[in-house]
Amino acid sequence: MLEKYAILPCNGLDKCAGVISGEIAKKLCEGKKNEIICPVFYRVAETKYNKMAGEHPVLVIDGCQTRCASKLAAEKNIKISRKVTITEEAKAHNVKINNNLRLLENENALIEIILTALNKTEDKLTIIHAEPSGIYDFEYDTYQHGKFIFRVPRNPEIYYNENDCWAYIIGNHARVGVTDYVQQNLSDILYFTPPDIGGIIDQFGDVGEIESSKSVFELISPVSGKVISINETLVQKPELINENPYELGWMVEIELTDIEGDKELLIGFDKYFEIMKKKVEDLNG
Amino acid sequence: MSETTFMGVERNKIDWKPTIDYIKCDFCMECTNFCPHKVFEVRESEEIKLIVKNPDNCVVFCRACSKICGPDALSFPDKNATTQKIKEIRKEESNA
Repeated sequence: MLEKYAILPCNGLDKCAGVISGEIAKKLCEGKKNEIICPVFYRVAETKYNKMAGEHPVLVIDGCQTRCASKLAAEKNIKISRKVTITEEAKAHNVKINNNLRLLENENALIEIILTALNKTEDKLTIIHAEPSGIYDFEYDTYQHGKFIFRVPRNPEIYYNENDCWAYIIGNHARVGVTDYVQQNLSDILYFTPPDIGGIIDQFGDVGEIESSKSVFELISPVSGKVISINETLVQKPELINENPYELGWMVEIELTDIEGDKELLIGFDKYFEIMKKKVEDLNG
Repeated sequence: MSETTFMGVERNKIDWKPTIDYIKCDFCMECTNFCPHKVFEVRESEEIKLIVKNPDNCVVFCRACSKICGPDALSFPDKNATTQKIKEIRKEESNA
Protein backbone atom coordinates (compact mmCIF):
# COMPACT_ATOMS: atom_id res chain seq x y z
CA MET A 1 0.00 0.00 0.00
CA LEU A 2 1.78 3.05 -1.23
CA GLU A 3 -0.79 5.64 -0.33
CA LYS A 4 -2.03 6.66 3.06
CA TYR A 5 -5.40 5.05 3.64
CA ALA A 6 -8.29 5.80 5.93
CA ILE A 7 -9.34 2.32 7.04
CA LEU A 8 -12.95 1.59 7.89
CA PRO A 9 -13.15 -1.88 9.45
CA CYS A 10 -16.15 -3.95 10.47
CA ASN A 11 -17.09 -3.54 14.10
CA GLY A 12 -18.31 -7.10 14.51
CA LEU A 13 -16.88 -7.77 17.95
CA ASP A 14 -19.21 -10.74 18.39
CA LYS A 15 -17.96 -12.60 15.33
CA CYS A 16 -14.55 -13.97 14.49
CA ALA A 17 -14.58 -12.37 11.04
CA GLY A 18 -15.18 -9.02 12.71
CA VAL A 19 -12.29 -9.54 15.09
CA ILE A 20 -10.05 -10.42 12.12
CA SER A 21 -11.20 -7.26 10.36
CA GLY A 22 -10.21 -5.15 13.35
CA GLU A 23 -6.86 -6.91 13.66
CA ILE A 24 -6.00 -6.27 10.01
CA ALA A 25 -6.92 -2.60 10.42
CA LYS A 26 -4.61 -2.34 13.44
CA LYS A 27 -1.74 -4.07 11.64
CA LEU A 28 -2.10 -1.76 8.66
CA CYS A 29 -1.69 1.18 10.99
CA GLU A 30 1.44 -0.13 12.72
CA GLY A 31 4.37 2.05 11.82
CA LYS A 32 2.54 3.53 8.86
CA LYS A 33 0.56 6.63 8.14
CA ASN A 34 -2.75 4.78 7.74
CA GLU A 35 -5.50 5.71 10.16
CA ILE A 36 -8.54 3.85 11.43
CA ILE A 37 -12.09 5.14 11.17
CA CYS A 38 -13.90 3.79 14.24
CA PRO A 39 -17.37 2.78 13.02
CA VAL A 40 -18.94 3.26 16.43
CA PHE A 41 -17.53 6.72 17.01
CA TYR A 42 -18.35 7.61 13.40
CA ARG A 43 -22.03 7.14 14.21
CA VAL A 44 -22.00 9.80 16.88
CA ALA A 45 -19.28 12.21 15.75
CA GLU A 46 -18.62 12.31 12.06
CA THR A 47 -16.62 15.49 11.48
CA LYS A 48 -13.18 14.03 12.12
CA TYR A 49 -13.76 10.97 9.97
CA ASN A 50 -15.48 12.82 7.15
CA LYS A 51 -12.38 14.97 6.90
CA MET A 52 -10.11 11.93 6.97
CA ALA A 53 -12.17 10.15 4.30
CA GLY A 54 -12.19 13.26 2.16
CA GLU A 55 -8.42 13.61 2.27
CA HIS A 56 -7.38 9.99 1.81
CA PRO A 57 -8.52 6.92 -0.13
CA VAL A 58 -10.74 4.69 1.98
CA LEU A 59 -10.13 0.99 2.49
CA VAL A 60 -13.22 -0.83 3.77
CA ILE A 61 -12.75 -4.16 5.57
CA ASP A 62 -16.07 -5.97 5.90
CA GLY A 63 -16.18 -8.97 8.19
CA CYS A 64 -19.00 -10.85 6.48
CA GLN A 65 -21.47 -10.34 3.70
CA THR A 66 -23.78 -8.31 5.84
CA ARG A 67 -21.32 -5.58 4.75
CA CYS A 68 -21.92 -3.27 7.70
CA ALA A 69 -18.78 -1.25 7.00
CA SER A 70 -19.68 -0.81 3.32
CA LYS A 71 -23.20 0.22 4.28
CA LEU A 72 -21.84 2.74 6.75
CA ALA A 73 -19.60 4.15 4.01
CA ALA A 74 -22.64 4.45 1.75
CA GLU A 75 -24.67 6.12 4.48
CA LYS A 76 -21.91 8.64 5.08
CA ASN A 77 -21.44 9.17 1.35
CA ILE A 78 -17.82 8.04 1.44
CA LYS A 79 -16.17 6.89 -1.75
CA ILE A 80 -14.62 3.43 -1.27
CA SER A 81 -11.24 3.02 -2.97
CA ARG A 82 -10.51 -0.56 -1.93
CA LYS A 83 -12.45 -3.27 -0.21
CA VAL A 84 -11.90 -6.63 1.46
CA THR A 85 -14.48 -9.06 2.87
CA ILE A 86 -12.97 -11.44 5.42
CA THR A 87 -15.35 -14.37 4.90
CA GLU A 88 -14.88 -14.16 1.13
CA GLU A 89 -11.10 -14.16 1.51
CA ALA A 90 -11.32 -17.14 3.86
CA LYS A 91 -13.34 -19.02 1.24
CA ALA A 92 -11.04 -18.02 -1.61
CA HIS A 93 -7.95 -19.20 0.29
CA ASN A 94 -9.66 -22.25 1.76
CA VAL A 95 -9.06 -21.14 5.34
CA LYS A 96 -11.61 -22.23 7.91
CA ILE A 97 -12.09 -19.58 10.58
CA ASN A 98 -13.40 -20.61 13.97
CA ASN A 99 -16.66 -19.75 15.66
CA ASN A 100 -15.20 -18.10 18.75
CA LEU A 101 -13.47 -14.78 19.08
CA ARG A 102 -9.87 -15.91 19.49
CA LEU A 103 -7.30 -15.44 16.78
CA LEU A 104 -5.64 -18.83 16.44
CA GLU A 105 -3.39 -20.37 13.80
CA ASN A 106 -5.88 -20.28 10.91
CA GLU A 107 -7.04 -16.76 11.67
CA ASN A 108 -3.48 -15.45 11.90
CA ALA A 109 -2.56 -17.20 8.65
CA LEU A 110 -5.54 -15.55 6.94
CA ILE A 111 -4.52 -12.16 8.31
CA GLU A 112 -1.05 -12.57 6.79
CA ILE A 113 -2.52 -13.67 3.44
CA ILE A 114 -4.79 -10.63 3.32
CA LEU A 115 -2.06 -8.21 4.36
CA THR A 116 0.25 -9.60 1.67
CA ALA A 117 -2.50 -9.33 -0.95
CA LEU A 118 -3.30 -5.76 0.03
CA ASN A 119 0.32 -4.83 -0.46
CA LYS A 120 0.44 -6.50 -3.86
CA THR A 121 -2.80 -5.20 -5.35
CA GLU A 122 -1.39 -1.90 -6.48
CA ASP A 123 1.35 -3.68 -8.43
CA LYS A 124 -1.31 -5.70 -10.22
CA LEU A 125 -3.33 -2.66 -11.18
CA THR A 126 -0.34 -1.08 -12.87
CA ILE A 127 -0.18 -3.81 -15.53
CA ILE A 128 -3.74 -3.39 -16.74
CA HIS A 129 -4.06 -2.27 -20.34
CA ALA A 130 -4.39 1.40 -21.06
CA GLU A 131 -8.07 2.14 -21.23
CA PRO A 132 -9.43 2.55 -24.74
CA SER A 133 -12.27 4.95 -25.33
CA GLY A 134 -15.73 3.79 -24.29
CA ILE A 135 -17.73 6.16 -26.48
CA TYR A 136 -19.55 4.45 -29.34
CA ASP A 137 -22.53 6.72 -30.02
CA PHE A 138 -24.96 3.83 -29.95
CA GLU A 139 -28.53 4.42 -31.05
CA TYR A 140 -30.85 3.85 -28.08
CA ASP A 141 -34.48 2.91 -27.60
CA THR A 142 -36.05 3.94 -24.33
CA TYR A 143 -38.81 2.64 -22.11
CA GLN A 144 -40.22 4.87 -19.39
CA HIS A 145 -41.91 3.54 -16.28
CA GLY A 146 -42.86 6.22 -13.77
CA LYS A 147 -39.86 8.43 -13.26
CA PHE A 148 -37.45 5.76 -14.46
CA ILE A 149 -36.15 5.70 -18.02
CA PHE A 150 -34.56 2.50 -19.29
CA ARG A 151 -32.30 2.78 -22.31
CA VAL A 152 -31.21 -0.15 -24.45
CA PRO A 153 -28.82 0.22 -27.39
CA ARG A 154 -30.08 -1.03 -30.70
CA ASN A 155 -26.97 -2.48 -32.27
CA PRO A 156 -26.67 -5.84 -34.04
CA GLU A 157 -23.29 -6.49 -32.44
CA ILE A 158 -24.64 -6.19 -28.92
CA TYR A 159 -26.00 -9.40 -27.42
CA TYR A 160 -27.81 -9.80 -24.11
CA ASN A 161 -28.50 -12.56 -21.66
CA GLU A 162 -31.64 -12.80 -19.58
CA ASN A 163 -29.61 -11.76 -16.55
CA ASP A 164 -29.45 -8.18 -17.84
CA CYS A 165 -25.84 -8.22 -18.95
CA TRP A 166 -24.64 -7.27 -22.42
CA ALA A 167 -21.68 -8.12 -24.64
CA TYR A 168 -20.56 -5.86 -27.47
CA ILE A 169 -18.69 -7.96 -29.99
CA ILE A 170 -15.67 -6.26 -31.56
CA GLY A 171 -13.83 -8.77 -33.79
CA ASN A 172 -12.65 -11.61 -31.55
CA HIS A 173 -13.11 -9.54 -28.40
CA ALA A 174 -16.20 -8.50 -26.48
CA ARG A 175 -16.81 -5.78 -23.98
CA VAL A 176 -19.19 -6.76 -21.24
CA GLY A 177 -21.33 -4.76 -18.84
CA VAL A 178 -24.74 -4.43 -17.24
CA THR A 179 -27.92 -2.91 -18.65
CA ASP A 180 -29.86 0.10 -17.47
CA TYR A 181 -32.24 -2.28 -15.69
CA VAL A 182 -29.47 -3.41 -13.34
CA GLN A 183 -28.07 0.00 -12.58
CA GLN A 184 -31.53 1.46 -11.97
CA ASN A 185 -32.39 -1.34 -9.55
CA LEU A 186 -29.12 -1.09 -7.65
CA SER A 187 -29.28 2.73 -7.60
CA ASP A 188 -25.97 4.38 -6.69
CA ILE A 189 -23.17 1.94 -7.44
CA LEU A 190 -20.41 2.37 -4.90
CA TYR A 191 -17.87 -0.24 -5.77
CA PHE A 192 -16.66 -2.35 -8.68
CA THR A 193 -14.72 -5.54 -7.98
CA PRO A 194 -13.00 -6.55 -11.21
CA PRO A 195 -12.11 -10.13 -12.15
CA ASP A 196 -8.50 -11.27 -12.42
CA ILE A 197 -6.81 -10.41 -15.70
CA GLY A 198 -6.05 -13.63 -17.57
CA GLY A 199 -8.88 -15.55 -15.92
CA ILE A 200 -10.79 -18.05 -18.07
CA ILE A 201 -14.54 -17.49 -17.98
CA ASP A 202 -17.32 -19.88 -18.94
CA GLN A 203 -20.46 -18.47 -20.50
CA PHE A 204 -22.64 -17.27 -17.60
CA GLY A 205 -19.64 -17.34 -15.29
CA ASP A 206 -18.99 -14.41 -12.97
CA VAL A 207 -16.75 -11.63 -14.24
CA GLY A 208 -16.75 -9.19 -11.40
CA GLU A 209 -19.20 -7.63 -8.99
CA ILE A 210 -20.80 -4.28 -8.50
CA GLU A 211 -22.16 -3.13 -5.22
CA SER A 212 -24.56 -0.50 -4.00
CA SER A 213 -25.92 0.15 -0.54
CA LYS A 214 -28.85 -2.09 -1.56
CA SER A 215 -27.09 -5.16 -2.87
CA VAL A 216 -24.25 -6.90 -4.65
CA PHE A 217 -24.67 -7.89 -8.30
CA GLU A 218 -22.51 -10.49 -10.00
CA LEU A 219 -21.79 -9.65 -13.61
CA ILE A 220 -22.89 -12.79 -15.45
CA SER A 221 -20.81 -13.01 -18.59
CA PRO A 222 -22.81 -13.48 -21.78
CA VAL A 223 -19.69 -14.87 -23.46
CA SER A 224 -16.93 -17.35 -22.74
CA GLY A 225 -13.22 -16.57 -23.07
CA LYS A 226 -10.26 -14.98 -21.36
CA VAL A 227 -10.33 -11.73 -19.42
CA ILE A 228 -7.85 -9.46 -21.16
CA SER A 229 -8.76 -6.09 -19.73
CA ILE A 230 -10.89 -4.34 -17.18
CA ASN A 231 -12.23 -0.82 -17.12
CA GLU A 232 -9.85 0.48 -14.51
CA THR A 233 -11.65 3.83 -14.41
CA LEU A 234 -14.59 2.14 -12.69
CA VAL A 235 -12.45 1.23 -9.69
CA GLN A 236 -12.27 4.92 -8.87
CA LYS A 237 -15.47 6.02 -10.61
CA PRO A 238 -18.05 3.23 -10.31
CA GLU A 239 -20.76 5.85 -10.77
CA LEU A 240 -20.01 5.73 -14.51
CA ILE A 241 -22.01 2.48 -14.55
CA ASN A 242 -25.05 4.47 -13.42
CA GLU A 243 -24.37 7.35 -15.76
CA ASN A 244 -23.48 5.46 -18.93
CA PRO A 245 -23.75 1.67 -18.50
CA TYR A 246 -23.28 0.68 -22.14
CA GLU A 247 -20.34 2.85 -23.09
CA LEU A 248 -18.14 4.49 -20.42
CA GLY A 249 -19.51 1.96 -17.92
CA TRP A 250 -18.22 -1.14 -19.73
CA MET A 251 -16.65 -3.42 -17.18
CA VAL A 252 -14.59 -6.22 -18.68
CA GLU A 253 -13.04 -7.07 -22.04
CA ILE A 254 -12.93 -10.73 -23.01
CA GLU A 255 -11.03 -12.52 -25.74
CA LEU A 256 -13.65 -14.79 -27.23
CA THR A 257 -13.23 -18.54 -27.50
CA ASP A 258 -16.63 -19.76 -28.77
CA ILE A 259 -18.79 -16.84 -29.76
CA GLU A 260 -20.88 -18.85 -32.23
CA GLY A 261 -21.69 -21.39 -29.52
CA ASP A 262 -22.35 -18.63 -27.00
CA LYS A 263 -24.80 -16.91 -29.34
CA GLU A 264 -27.14 -19.92 -29.10
CA LEU A 265 -28.01 -18.80 -25.57
CA LEU A 266 -28.01 -15.05 -26.18
CA ILE A 267 -30.66 -12.66 -27.41
CA GLY A 268 -30.66 -9.50 -29.47
CA PHE A 269 -32.17 -6.09 -28.90
CA ASP A 270 -35.80 -6.89 -29.78
CA LYS A 271 -36.16 -9.83 -27.44
CA TYR A 272 -34.22 -8.25 -24.59
CA PHE A 273 -36.24 -5.05 -24.81
CA GLU A 274 -39.47 -7.02 -24.41
CA ILE A 275 -38.10 -9.09 -21.51
CA MET A 276 -36.80 -5.98 -19.76
CA LYS A 277 -40.14 -4.19 -20.10
CA LYS A 278 -41.93 -7.15 -18.56
CA LYS A 279 -39.44 -7.31 -15.68
CA VAL A 280 -39.91 -3.62 -14.98
CA GLU A 281 -43.68 -3.98 -14.98
CA ASP A 282 -43.64 -7.11 -12.82
CA LEU A 283 -41.33 -5.58 -10.24
CA ASN A 284 -42.86 -2.14 -10.08
CA GLY A 285 -46.49 -2.88 -10.79
CA MET B 1 -41.79 -15.06 -21.42
CA SER B 2 -39.27 -14.59 -18.64
CA GLU B 3 -41.92 -15.45 -16.07
CA THR B 4 -42.23 -19.11 -17.06
CA THR B 5 -39.25 -19.77 -19.30
CA PHE B 6 -35.55 -19.03 -19.24
CA MET B 7 -33.62 -19.12 -22.48
CA GLY B 8 -36.60 -20.76 -24.09
CA VAL B 9 -36.71 -23.58 -21.52
CA GLU B 10 -39.61 -23.99 -19.13
CA ARG B 11 -38.46 -22.63 -15.79
CA ASN B 12 -39.60 -25.64 -13.81
CA LYS B 13 -37.23 -27.85 -15.80
CA ILE B 14 -34.20 -25.88 -14.59
CA ASP B 15 -32.87 -26.77 -11.16
CA TRP B 16 -31.75 -23.38 -9.89
CA LYS B 17 -32.70 -22.29 -6.41
CA PRO B 18 -31.05 -21.43 -3.11
CA THR B 19 -30.49 -24.15 -0.54
CA ILE B 20 -30.57 -23.04 3.08
CA ASP B 21 -27.97 -24.50 5.44
CA TYR B 22 -29.99 -24.54 8.65
CA ILE B 23 -26.87 -25.09 10.75
CA LYS B 24 -25.51 -21.73 9.61
CA CYS B 25 -28.76 -19.78 9.13
CA ASP B 26 -29.57 -17.45 12.02
CA PHE B 27 -32.96 -16.43 10.57
CA CYS B 28 -31.93 -12.80 10.21
CA MET B 29 -34.28 -12.66 7.15
CA GLU B 30 -32.00 -10.37 5.17
CA CYS B 31 -32.46 -12.66 2.16
CA THR B 32 -36.23 -12.57 2.16
CA ASN B 33 -36.27 -8.84 2.82
CA PHE B 34 -33.99 -8.38 -0.16
CA CYS B 35 -35.36 -10.82 -2.76
CA PRO B 36 -38.11 -9.16 -4.81
CA HIS B 37 -39.20 -12.47 -6.34
CA LYS B 38 -40.77 -14.01 -3.22
CA VAL B 39 -38.54 -17.07 -3.36
CA PHE B 40 -38.46 -17.40 0.43
CA GLU B 41 -41.27 -17.64 2.96
CA VAL B 42 -41.05 -16.67 6.62
CA ARG B 43 -42.74 -18.97 9.15
CA GLU B 44 -42.40 -17.07 12.38
CA SER B 45 -44.34 -19.50 14.56
CA GLU B 46 -42.37 -22.58 13.48
CA GLU B 47 -38.95 -23.84 14.49
CA ILE B 48 -37.69 -23.59 10.90
CA LYS B 49 -38.57 -19.97 10.35
CA LEU B 50 -37.50 -19.68 6.74
CA ILE B 51 -38.05 -21.95 3.74
CA VAL B 52 -37.57 -21.80 -0.02
CA LYS B 53 -41.23 -21.55 -0.93
CA ASN B 54 -41.13 -20.67 -4.64
CA PRO B 55 -37.96 -22.12 -6.19
CA ASP B 56 -39.15 -21.43 -9.74
CA ASN B 57 -39.40 -17.71 -8.97
CA CYS B 58 -35.63 -17.66 -8.47
CA VAL B 59 -33.85 -15.96 -11.39
CA VAL B 60 -31.59 -18.53 -13.01
CA PHE B 61 -27.90 -17.71 -12.32
CA CYS B 62 -28.79 -15.00 -9.78
CA ARG B 63 -27.06 -15.53 -6.42
CA ALA B 64 -27.63 -12.10 -5.00
CA CYS B 65 -29.25 -13.37 -1.78
CA SER B 66 -26.17 -15.46 -1.00
CA LYS B 67 -24.04 -12.37 -1.50
CA ILE B 68 -25.79 -10.53 1.29
CA CYS B 69 -26.09 -13.51 3.64
CA GLY B 70 -23.93 -12.72 6.68
CA PRO B 71 -23.67 -16.32 7.99
CA ASP B 72 -23.07 -17.64 4.44
CA ALA B 73 -25.97 -20.06 4.75
CA LEU B 74 -27.20 -20.02 1.13
CA SER B 75 -25.77 -22.09 -1.70
CA PHE B 76 -26.66 -22.63 -5.35
CA PRO B 77 -26.10 -25.34 -7.97
CA ASP B 78 -23.02 -25.28 -10.19
CA LYS B 79 -23.48 -22.71 -12.95
CA ASN B 80 -21.62 -24.60 -15.61
CA ALA B 81 -23.62 -27.78 -15.01
CA THR B 82 -26.83 -25.73 -15.17
CA THR B 83 -25.80 -24.16 -18.49
CA GLN B 84 -25.05 -27.58 -19.94
CA LYS B 85 -28.40 -28.87 -18.75
CA ILE B 86 -30.21 -25.94 -20.39
CA LYS B 87 -28.38 -26.64 -23.64
CA GLU B 88 -29.35 -30.32 -23.46
CA ILE B 89 -33.01 -29.51 -22.89
CA ARG B 90 -33.02 -27.03 -25.76
CA LYS B 91 -31.44 -29.61 -28.03
CA GLU B 92 -33.91 -32.31 -27.01
CA GLU B 93 -36.83 -29.97 -27.57
CA SER B 94 -35.60 -28.78 -30.95
CA ASN B 95 -35.22 -32.41 -32.07
CA ALA B 96 -38.63 -33.44 -30.75
